[in-house]
Amino acid sequence: MIDHYDWRGGREAMLRFGPDTSPVVVIAMPLFEEASRTRAFVVTLCRALAARGVASALPDLPGQGESVLPTEHARLDDWRAAFAAAAANVGKRVHGVTLRSGAAIDGEAGLASRWRLSPLPGAAALAELQRAASAGGTAIPVKPGAESPPLLLAGNRIAMPLFNALTSDGALAVPDGPLRTVRLVSDPQPADRKVDAAPLWRRAEPGNDPALAALLADDIAAWIAQCGG
Amino acid sequence: MLPDDNSTIETTVRAVLRDVLGLSEARAAALRDDTLLFGAMPELDSMAVAGVLTELEERLGILIEDDEVDGEMLETFGALVRFAAAKAPR
Repeated sequence: MIDHYDWRGGREAMLRFGPDTSPVVVIAMPLFEEASRTRAFVVTLCRALAARGVASALPDLPGQGESVLPTEHARLDDWRAAFAAAAANVGKRVHGVTLRSGAAIDGEAGLASRWRLSPLPGAAALAELQRAASAGGTAIPVKPGAESPPLLLAGNRIAMPLFNALTSDGALAVPDGPLRTVRLVSDPQPADRKVDAAPLWRRAEPGNDPALAALLADDIAAWIAQCGG
Repeated sequence: MLPDDNSTIETTVRAVLRDVLGLSEARAAALRDDTLLFGAMPELDSMAVAGVLTELEERLGILIEDDEVDGEMLETFGALVRFAAAKAPR
């Protein structure tokens, strides 16, 4: 069902899946282009979680997805505050699930645990966007100033405050509390588990992978149980 | 494990093209040294190029500068494999 949540800057939509009972996870999608590429997969994951008795909430971030806020008004600290508000809205005891650069915005949320798929910090997400813009022949100012108009990077209007905040976000914060990281076998970075699958977030045409969704839903359900439900 | 020979690198490049472009196993397996890529393969647009490069960096442990990216290294499958092999640590 389509729910909503209020945060200090307004109201955003939030998809809800699964039972009204706990346990419940709040999900942070990847930022920018990767969100569109993984949306169908994330919904499949939410349904797979529901089939395992795990409820989930998928909030829109201000300036992303279906949000009415213009993209160029998006700010990194607002995303973190909005995600924290969404988590608080869902319940008292909520587990975090993030995909890719969604891990860059889960830091302020009061979460019982964090489960991350192939996480990367904001700076790396921005670098990939810049590479896409560069490959597409989109000109980027060499040294954009604080007063510069929003940059257009691979179809995303990014204001300088967001650009600078992402540039400074060079490493993922190590949160308090339980953390589990899952990556693909093809990714050499350390992880608690490696799964053999293709990176849907790089797929030029959005795809889906129900087998991977089922495998990850099993992993998340077991992780939540291990963290005390 | 770092890729240590050209056949491993070719396998990796093939897998990256399959995964990023969503090629079937049959199409991925049919890539030959002289198979034309950029400009000839409709799936390989500029966004996809960015994904291919980043994924190659990740899987091969290499760094590709944007000014090294040109039509030549993306012209054929063989050219992309040779570019990646020249970059890979020995």
